[in-house]
Amino acid sequence: MWPSIQYYCPCLSSANTLTPPPPVLASSSASFHSLHNLYFCEECDAVRCNRCVSVEVSGYYCPNCLFEVPSASVRAEKNRCARNCFSCPICRATLSVVASDPPDDGTGRPVTPLNNVGEAPYLLYCNYCRWDSSEVGITFEKPTGLAAQLQKYEDSAPESLEYERLKEHFEPFLRASSLSSSTHLLPPTSHHLHTSSATAAASAALSRDIPGISKYNPVARSRSGRDRTTNKDEMPEYKSRVEVGLFGQLGSGGDDADVELLRYTETAGEIAKLEQRWGNSWTTSLRMSELRPLRIPLHSKVSKRCPACRHILIKPEQKAQSVRYKIKLAAANYLPALSVGFPQTQAAKRAAGKGADSRNAGVMLAGITNNAFRVALTNPLYDPIQVRLSPQRVTDGRGFQVSLPLTPFSIGAFAEAWEYDDDEDMFDMEDDELGLEAGRGSRDKDARGRAKNVGVLERRANVTVVGGEVNVHKSYRGQVKFNMLVSYTYRSDDPLPSEDGAGTPSRAVVKTPEVKTFSFYTVVDLGPVLSKDDSESMQQV
Amino acid sequence: MDTPIYYSKAEFIETDTGNKVSRRATIAGPQNIILGGKTIISSGAIIRGDLRRTGPGHAVVISLGRYCLVGEGCVMRPPYKTYRGNFNYYPMKIGDHVHIGANSVVEAATIGNHVVIGKNCIIGKFTIIKDCAQVADNTVIPPNTVVPALALFSGSPGRFVEDLPESTQELVESQTKQYYTRFQPLDR
Repeated sequence: MWPSIQYYCPCLSSANTLTPPPPVLASSSASFHSLHNLYFCEECDAVRCNRCVSVEVSGYYCPNCLFEVPSASVRAEKNRCARNCFSCPICRATLSVVASDPPDDGTGRPVTPLNNVGEAPYLLYCNYCRWDSSEVGITFEKPTGLAAQLQKYEDSAPESLEYERLKEHFEPFLRASSLSSSTHLLPPTSHHLHTSSATAAASAALSRDIPGISKYNPVARSRSGRDRTTNKDEMPEYKSRVEVGLFGQLGSGGDDADVELLRYTETAGEIAKLEQRWGNSWTTSLRMSELRPLRIPLHSKVSKRCPACRHILIKPEQKAQSVRYKIKLAAANYLPALSVGFPQTQAAKRAAGKGADSRNAGVMLAGITNNAFRVALTNPLYDPIQVRLSPQRVTDGRGFQVSLPLTPFSIGAFAEAWEYDDDEDMFDMEDDELGLEAGRGSRDKDARGRAKNVGVLERRANVTVVGGEVNVHKSYRGQVKFNMLVSYTYRSDDPLPSEDGAGTPSRAVVKTPEVKTFSFYTVVDLGPVLSKDDSESMQQV
Repeated sequence: MDTPIYYSKAEFIETDTGNKVSRRATIAGPQNIILGGKTIISSGAIIRGDLRRTGPGHAVVISLGRYCLVGEGCVMRPPYKTYRGNFNYYPMKIGDHVHIGANSVVEAATIGNHVVIGKNCIIGKFTIIKDCAQVADNTVIPPNTVVPALALFSGSPGRFVEDLPESTQELVESQTKQYYTRFQPLDR
C-alpha cells in the first residue's frame, strides 16, 4: 500500500555501485525492505537483509506440542514430531486424539465414561474437516505415544526400507572418507575422487535400473574406471532391494496403476491434490481416500550471521517459545525510522469524524505543482542526530519533481519509552498543532505559496516531521516513486580507531573523530497519480 | 502520520486505568472480566463474562492485558468442553498488546503477548496462541490448534505461513501504543 517507504540493502548490487536501481523497474523491489526486516552489522557498519545473512539452525521444536527436539534425534525421527502430533491428510489441520463412542447398553441413554480417557480404540480426528483415521484403518490401543504405534507402518514402507539400505550401504564409505579427510587433511583433488567414486556408484546403479539413461553409461564408466585405479577405498556395487519396475505392484502407484485409477475416476475429488501429496516423504497413492495422517514437521529457531564478517546478528534464546534474543542487531536500533504520509486537511478531519474514508486527502493530482507530503523521522539513538535528505533525480524529468528540504536538520535524542508512556497531555497538544499546521498548509496552497509546505514542520521528542512537495506534470500517469539518500551524522560512543571507517565508503570521518556519518538509500512510494476526474469519481465512491 | 481515530465521547466509558469501553458493546458478567488498562472495547463487541465455571467462589472468566483492542463486532466467548461427564466453561487469558480485528470470534484458551489477530477470523475452542504470533484476516483456526511464537497463520483451516521478523515484539508494541494514543474523543 502507499504511501510507503522502504530501505535499501545493497547485497544484490555489485560491490562498486552502492546506488539502488531505479524504482520504476519492477525488479528493484527485491532490494528494498521494510526497516524492521533489516539487520545492522556493527563490525562492517552496514545494513544486512534476510536475503544476504547466513542462517544457522540453533534448535528444533514441534510447532504443535512445542517440544524442543534435541538435534541428535531429529534425523532419526525424520524431521517430524515423534510424539502425538499429526496433521490431517485432507486439510492439514492438527488432528486430535478421541476415544471411540462407548458401547450402546440398549437403554438409548448415553453412558457416562468411568474415566476421562474413554474407550479404546482411539482415533485421530480432524476438528476442521471431520476426517478420522478409521477411514484408513488406523486405530490405537492407548491414547499416548501414537507416533511410536504408527512407526511400524512407516518403517515397513518399501521406500523407507530401500532408503535405510542405501544409508547402510554408504555408511562405511562416508565414515572412512570423513575420517581420512579430517585426519590426513587430504588435498582437494582426492576429495574430488571420493565424490566421483560415490557418484560413479550411484550412476551405475541408476543406469542399471532405469534403462533411459543407459547411454551415458560408457562415459561414466570409463572415467570412473580411471579414477578407481588411483582410489584405494573401492565401493562395492549397490544392489537394490526391489527392482524399480516392481514399485507399482507394491501399492504405491506407478504409471499403469495410475492410468487405471484415472480411467475409472468419476469426480476430481477422488484424486488427492498435489498440495496433499507433496509434503510426504514417500510417494503415496493418488486416491484421496488412502491418504494417511502425517507427523507434523518440526520447525527451527535460527541464528543469523553477517555474510561478510561472520559476526552474529541474531541469536535466539534456547527456549523454543521465548521471543527474546541473546543477540539482536536490528537496523531499527541504528537507523532513523522514516514514515511517509499526507498532511491532514480540515476537510479530511471532518470526514474522518463522520467515519468516512479520509484517504482521499493524500491523492497525487496531475498538473498540480504542490502536492504536499510529509516524512516523519524518528531517532532511535540516545544522542541527537543531524539528517540530510537527498531525493534522487528522476531520470525522466517530465514526470514529476520532488522538492524536500535539502539542508541538514536535527532530530532530538531518544529517551527511554517510559518517559512518554503515560504522558496523556502530549497527544492533545500535538493534535492541535497538527490541525493548525494543516490549516495553514491549505491556505498556502490557495495562495500558491510553497515555502511553508517544504521544510521542517514539527519537532517533538525524538521525532522530526519535514514536509515536501511533488510537482506532477499534466500528462504523467503512474506511480510517484523515487529513491532518496538519507545521511545522518551522529556522535559515536567509542573514539574511532582509524582503520574503522576508512574501509567502508559509506562512512566518512567528519570534523572530529567522535562524529560519524552513515548513509543509506530508501525508496518512497507516494502512490499513483490521478487526474482530477479520477479523484472526483473516487470521492463519490 | 499520527492521524487520530476519533470516537464520540458520549459512546465510550473511560475507566481510571484508561480502559475505553463502548456503551454499544455487550459486556455480560462484568464482575468476571479483567481489563489490564488502556484496553479498548469497540462498539458491537460481545464479551461473555457470564459463561463461568460452575462451582462456588469468584471466577475470572476473561482477562485481557494492557493495550489490547477488541474490534467492532468481535465475540469473545470462553471455551467449553465436557470433561468426565461434566459440561464446563474454561477461562480465557489474553496477554498485553493484543489486537483483535473487527468481527472475529475468539474462543481461545490462551493468547500470549503482542499477538495480532485480523478481521473476520474464527479462533476455535482451546486454541493456544503464543507470544508475537499473528493471524491473517479471514483465517479459521480449528479447535485445539497451537500457534507457535512468531508464526503467521493464514487460510481456512489456518496454517503456518512464515516466521515473523525478530523485531515483531517492538513493532507490535509501538503499534498498539500508538493506536491507543490515536484513539481520541470528539465532542459533538
